[in-house]
Amino acid sequence: MQVNNGSGSSLQSEINITPLVDVVLVLLIIFMVVVPLLMTGYDIDIPRTDASPAQAEDSQLILNIGSATCPLLEPLAGDGLPADCRVTLDDQKIPAAELPARVAQVLGRRAPENRVLFLAADDRMNYEGVLRIIDLAKSGVEDLKIEFIETH
Amino acid sequence: MRLGEPAKMQAAINITPLVDVVLVLLIIFMVMAPQMRKGPDVKLPNTAKPTQQGDERGRILVSIDDAGGLWIDDHAVAPEQFGDVLRSAVAADPDSKVVIRGDAKLNFSQVRQAMNAIEQAGFPGVGLIAKRAGE
Repeated sequence: MQVNNGSGSSLQSEINITPLVDVVLVLLIIFMVVVPLLMTGYDIDIPRTDASPAQAEDSQLILNIGSATCPLLEPLAGDGLPADCRVTLDDQKIPAAELPARVAQVLGRRAPENRVLFLAADDRMNYEGVLRIIDLAKSGVEDLKIEFIETH
Repeated sequence: MRLGEPAKMQAAINITPLVDVVLVLLIIFMVMAPQMRKGPDVKLPNTAKPTQQGDERGRILVSIDDAGGLWIDDHAVAPEQFGDVLRSAVAADPDSKVVIRGDAKLNFSQVRQAMNAIEQAGFPGVGLIAKRAGE
């Protein structure tokens, strides 16, 4: 075997891009398959009469979203909720911004399977506004279940 | 090059144009993919922290467009047939899940009516689809 002493050996000046092509092709396939199909959102439970017994009425935490205190009747502009939006949690009117802390205070002590928030939303409310309030309520505590109830 | 001298063979294929094409395809798919979904054009609500709802496949995709029109997967469904279509879907696969893609401009009552129909068809829950603000 001849020892390569550096003289006359041809330098390989090109970068080997075959692995790069491999990686890019795999990325392409991943994006083609996965991206159009992933969704994000909120799980809403629909109570079933034959399922586990309902919570005792006095332990139900009810969040009332009324158009009188949080007038989100028109499509929203921008992100977040207006500062004057107030909601009724457990018969107390609170600013929507306090919702994560209040929900965590009441439901955080319960076992995860009992963390249920009953939501009564005014039918005239904007859908996006209702979702943003759900988002606030869920941000305070893990494993929160949401159930809609009829407005009174 | 002198005649008679053996030409040096270039054995490697030049793959730089291939890389160009593949990168362009990648960018095209990244841009186009979110618009290639089934059903009507729905402007999803923006929220701060929506949680992952997984893959569209295997879900019953209920879309409500900004005029309140109901769609199941990529078919428009008349409101009076909506419950029947859902009931036949739950009969075919009792474990199937429903997600609602509702337009941000909708009134909550329009979504609520669809949720009531889904509830009456016997589904245990529903996912309300939103997108993270800024995406």
